[in-house]
Amino acid sequence: MSDGNTHIWHVSAGRAARYADGTLPEPDTWSVEKHLEGCAGCASRVSAAVRGTAAGPVLAQVRDAVLARATPVPVPAVSRLARLLWAAGPAVRGAWPPAVLAVAVGALALSHGAGLPGARALLLAVAPVLPVAGVALSYGPAADPLYEVTAATPGGGLRLALVRTVAVLAVSLPLLTLAGLLLPASGAPAAVAWLLPGLALTLGTLALASFTGCRTAAGLTGGGWLCAVLAPVSAAPGGPLTARLAEQLGRCLDGTGTQGAWAAAAVLSAALLAARRPAYDRPFGR
Amino acid sequence: MTSIHVTGLRVRHRRRLALDSVDLDLGTGVHGLLGPNGAGKTSLIRVLATVARPDAGRVELLGADVADPRGRAGVRRRLGYLPQEFGYYPGFTVREFVAYMAWLKEIPADRVPAAVARAVARVGLADRADAKVRTLSGGMVRRVGIAQAVVNDPEVLLLDEPTAGLDPEQRVEFRELLRELGASATVVVSTHLVEDVAAACTEVTLLEGGRIAYRGTPKSLTRLGESSGGPGDHPIERGYTAALRAHRTAERREALR
Repeated sequence: MSDGNTHIWHVSAGRAARYADGTLPEPDTWSVEKHLEGCAGCASRVSAAVRGTAAGPVLAQVRDAVLARATPVPVPAVSRLARLLWAAGPAVRGAWPPAVLAVAVGALALSHGAGLPGARALLLAVAPVLPVAGVALSYGPAADPLYEVTAATPGGGLRLALVRTVAVLAVSLPLLTLAGLLLPASGAPAAVAWLLPGLALTLGTLALASFTGCRTAAGLTGGGWLCAVLAPVSAAPGGPLTARLAEQLGRCLDGTGTQGAWAAAAVLSAALLAARRPAYDRPFGR
Repeated sequence: MTSIHVTGLRVRHRRRLALDSVDLDLGTGVHGLLGPNGAGKTSLIRVLATVARPDAGRVELLGADVADPRGRAGVRRRLGYLPQEFGYYPGFTVREFVAYMAWLKEIPADRVPAAVARAVARVGLADRADAKVRTLSGGMVRRVGIAQAVVNDPEVLLLDEPTAGLDPEQRVEFRELLRELGASATVVVSTHLVEDVAAACTEVTLLEGGRIAYRGTPKSLTRLGESSGGPGDHPIERGYTAALRAHRTAERREALR
């Protein structure tokens, strides 16, 4: 301690009491105050003496008032449900889930209600288009009213597109596969046969979107699938329509070679998407 | 300190040249961006917000070149942006909405609730924090937009027509907030309202036909209005028209040469 007087004397209890009640002569109060600046022991003795005077309750009140202001009010956290909704994005909050549900329920109604034998073939023909449509309705300036603001954030690029795609897949894959399982096969491929094509088309849409924007990309992949499945059916002669559809779907979905090709397409699309990541970092489609 | 450094900026918008050879240095403070419709105010703000890509020129924000993806991500964390047409999710509450933006701006999760509460209180919506955005009036939605822009305590804040839809009292409060934000951040406000600039801005940039027509302070623009006899009800409005006309005359002389 550099203060010269610290080693000479300390403030006694009596002196502290006289300082507190204001009866200490002025020159003595100066030397007490000078000493208190450098001596914690005496400072606490004087503080205790002051708290014992009439000023004590007032000081306590001020202290409580300041603390009440300074203590942060507990802030309600955002609920888990809200967080889930964030991740879901515009498509899953909008009209798209009812559309998926309508397709699933519609196929069941056609089969069990109307007795149509080829309901599974119809469902498998339409199913891969639904997640693709979900992606188109989830991301991009046309689908997301918040797009302009999210484009200026670090998390608004591919990360956001992928999170929303996962939400779309989490709704459509189980629902449509389950519906397929509940339908009689009647010549159509297995109910799970559409999963790899669905995934490949979805990833392909995301990769293509980095060049064309989400809507055009979804139109190309979804439209391409429908053309591949439906065009030969309408051209082929003979037999009931659903039987021809089941046959054509078999060519598009059945067999390890075909499924392997779809898996390869999914992997390639994912690789292309990873390479095109910077395009998601800057707005596209306008 | 210069936080926005723009050189030789050229931007095309719908095949039209929206900005041409713009050089601009902006530092801490509130910068008013004035100019007639189609002068390039929104184009400039969108480029500064890293949303629009410049066709030529260099944009540096907070010392990082925004053409570089890594620099851009860092800058975006420290950026606030309110576009002219502010879209939102009507089903979200104010708190959810601002928290969603905090998540996208990569604010650490443990700091989000407090940051959201502070941003919502700053725009005077604390009592409506748990109301759905669709139940709010136009002026309140605008304030939600300002809250999401400031939730990450941005060092660069870009506001495109933020006072549109606010009533006079709200505008006075908003100017107060602007002055507060401008004490520590670089705030760029585009506006049609010359009186907003006079009241809240430390500097003025006037755009015309994609070029910078005038740079100065509200005071210097007022002085220009007092010394020239241009049309307008207030000296600063007269200054605005005088600066525009002077720029047009100079451009014409340039074209004739």
